[in-house]
Amino acid sequence: MLQSKIRQRRMAVAFILLIERGDDGSSQIGAEKNDKPEEHAMALLDRSEWYDLARSTNWTPTFVTDEDLFPDVMTGAQGVPAEKWEVYDEPYKTSFPEYVSIQREKDAGAYSVKAALQRSRIFDDADPGWRSILKSHYGAIALGEYAAMSAEARMARFGRAPGMRNMATFGMMDENRHAQLQLFFPHEYCPKDRQFDWGHKAYHTNEWAAIAARHAFDDLFMARSATDIAVMLTFAFETGFTNMQFLGLAADAAEAGDYTFSSLISSIQTDESRHAQIGGPALQVLIANGRKAEAQKLVDVAIGRAWRIFCILTGPSMDYNTPLAHRKQSFKEFMQEWIVGQFERALIDLGLDLPWYWDKMIAEFDYQHHAYQMGLWFWRPTLWWNPAAGVTPDCRDWLEEKYPGWNDTFGKAWDVIIDNLAAGHPERTFPQTLPIVCNMSQIPICAVPGNRWNVKDYPLDYEGRLYHFNSEIDRWIFEQEPQRYRGHMTVVDRFLAGQIQPADLSGALAYMGLQPGESGDDAHGYAWVEAYRNRRMAAE
Amino acid sequence: MNQPAIAQPLKTWSHLAARRRKPSEYEIVSTNLHYTTDRPDAPFELDPDFPPAQWFKTHRNASPLKHADWNAFRDPDEMVYRTYNMLQDGQENYVFGLLDQFSERGHDAMLERAWVRHLAHIYTPARYLFHALQMGSAYLCQMAPASTISNAATYQTADSLRWLTHTAYRTAELAKRFEGQGFEGQGFGTGERAVWETDPAWQGLRELVERGLATYDWGEHFVAMNLVARPAVEEAVLRGLGQAARHNGDTLLALLCDAQLVDADRHRRWTGALVKMMLDSAGNRPVLEGWLAKWAPLGDAAMEAYSAHLPDARDAGGLARDAAGAYRQSIGL
Repeated sequence: MLQSKIRQRRMAVAFILLIERGDDGSSQIGAEKNDKPEEHAMALLDRSEWYDLARSTNWTPTFVTDEDLFPDVMTGAQGVPAEKWEVYDEPYKTSFPEYVSIQREKDAGAYSVKAALQRSRIFDDADPGWRSILKSHYGAIALGEYAAMSAEARMARFGRAPGMRNMATFGMMDENRHAQLQLFFPHEYCPKDRQFDWGHKAYHTNEWAAIAARHAFDDLFMARSATDIAVMLTFAFETGFTNMQFLGLAADAAEAGDYTFSSLISSIQTDESRHAQIGGPALQVLIANGRKAEAQKLVDVAIGRAWRIFCILTGPSMDYNTPLAHRKQSFKEFMQEWIVGQFERALIDLGLDLPWYWDKMIAEFDYQHHAYQMGLWFWRPTLWWNPAAGVTPDCRDWLEEKYPGWNDTFGKAWDVIIDNLAAGHPERTFPQTLPIVCNMSQIPICAVPGNRWNVKDYPLDYEGRLYHFNSEIDRWIFEQEPQRYRGHMTVVDRFLAGQIQPADLSGALAYMGLQPGESGDDAHGYAWVEAYRNRRMAAE
Repeated sequence: MNQPAIAQPLKTWSHLAARRRKPSEYEIVSTNLHYTTDRPDAPFELDPDFPPAQWFKTHRNASPLKHADWNAFRDPDEMVYRTYNMLQDGQENYVFGLLDQFSERGHDAMLERAWVRHLAHIYTPARYLFHALQMGSAYLCQMAPASTISNAATYQTADSLRWLTHTAYRTAELAKRFEGQGFEGQGFGTGERAVWETDPAWQGLRELVERGLATYDWGEHFVAMNLVARPAVEEAVLRGLGQAARHNGDTLLALLCDAQLVDADRHRRWTGALVKMMLDSAGNRPVLEGWLAKWAPLGDAAMEAYSAHLPDARDAGGLARDAAGAYRQSIGL
């Protein structure tokens, strides 16, 4: 294995050198062929001969106690003793020399695609809706990936199994890569558009979507123990949900001609699918030692939280911002295939049950992201990207086909917006009141409008404070560990508490760090309203 | 009218734009990435006081080590992920080339039996030590108050896994070569844990890393591990053992130790730069020196104990102690 690795690596190095020299002709390639290293008898050990030794590194401490070395708040081993973790066996094995070699090649690929396309006009020519996807993606993801590096580091330090600690070391490196790639690429666009500054800036602000992202990611991994992280971040979140943002958007990006973004996020996904496998064997250890209920609860909390954040991030991207001609699948179809079809099997195979709310979540596939899309577009000045409305007559036909009844529900609300725009009253399409924000997701509470109205608050009185939730799922998550959430204030709580001054939209925008020039507006400058105006004129 | 000005596109991130200098790739992808340091009263966007928040408020925010702007730290090597892999892929090609070449020449068969026994005693148990360093750097990564420090710690974590990997590889190779030749019990690949846990050669180092790992204030952890434990390991194990190997015909081990010391030199460069930055703030010197007064004696004792078991290395302990002290002195301590 390693012998051939070394040979491959030498060839790969030659290949990379060739790429880095540029595209200057066949004589170089000929020279490389002649440089091919001589074949000779290799005498290296196969990785399998030494791999187990590299993960036989647990010892019994005597100068400090086991509890000193693995405090429960950081380790979270659920009372399963150290020796029971020794059976932990990561399914995807790699080693330091293989890792640096493969990752070097991957980066050469990712960065060379970028170099080649830098000269192309894809960015300038892309539909504005597509640019909005890039902005929301980078702002919501880059520093979240960096936070995941800290979470991987927690597993590398406090994981109870040496195999887990080694794999998490590669996981740390992976997340370091993902943060760096997803900062490097949007940075290139900064001189073209101020909103790309948010690729770096978003997480440092109190912009509401950034608060929602921090709340979700802190809860899923930043403020979790090593064991919780293995289950919640790597198993539930990465196995299940990053596929959506990364594979789904990669397909749409390729369709839209943005090969830089497509190859970038596909390359990232190859790392994710490796280190996502840290969680499976950790779940097996928990279940084998009588901790199924505890493991199930972690999984259920994680899926509930991941669903919400991807529902608002990926749902509108796929069904509204991606230009109609470039859509591969609807968000609902994608969820059905990747979450229901594949992830469900992964849960059952591990001996876990489906979350108690599974059917409720699947029911939300029909409406929740449409409601979020209305909220995003309506509150567009509070975003760092320009949301596309995505409701041209053709788009509406597509939505009606994919989500029967759309025109009778969400369409009704859009009709009001469209009437105001067509009549020359854009000022009537901006919010005048505060939404009620969910104390779990940090996203305004919303559901189906129009003829099938089902918007409902799910309140909870806890220690004298009234909390509001978007669904039974959000409220249930709070109830599992109230001390984790109780002291947090939503952006609207802060507004009502007088922390945001002046207490109007301008004060809110300043609090969120949004200046004119950054603040969002309709992606297409309302040009899409023209079709409706023409229809009207024709009718009159 | 009091309309705020319209924000114009910038050539770089807004937090770097004020400096009127083109930022490097390193700065673009490495600086100001921790958001949990933005609000000292609430590290996470969750309850401000639940146990994980308390952990960060206590062990990071309330560290006696203070600086007005930790984000000003820069790694002198300006290492980024992309260049780390290029660098280490090259280094690993070199190391596996050595392993290949020495194996082909029948290197292990030519080793003296006495030296082979020493290897089981003073070399192969080092995988536990290197793994402890790996764990320690992973802690520093998650607790450091600036992303530029965390990144250096991440690459240091990976380097430690690299050293562990080399050691595991050689352990397996030695086990294969000397199987059934009287090394059972304390043998290659089977006896290391017992040696690490009980043999006098390792107890000082084990005490040092166990106590260092269980030290959770990020600043004291940095002092214990990067200023005391790592220099102790580098001077006593990598340099001392490497020298003993050279004196005993084990060129392969000597070259392996040298290859790892290349990583250690890089760690010392960023560690030195960080100490220099810490010393810019007046209150930090007594804090750092207080911690060193506590930790350096443990480091000295660990080097002494280990070095006493190195064959053909006169006063190795004294040399190691002097070198570790000289390193700390060279960075202003």
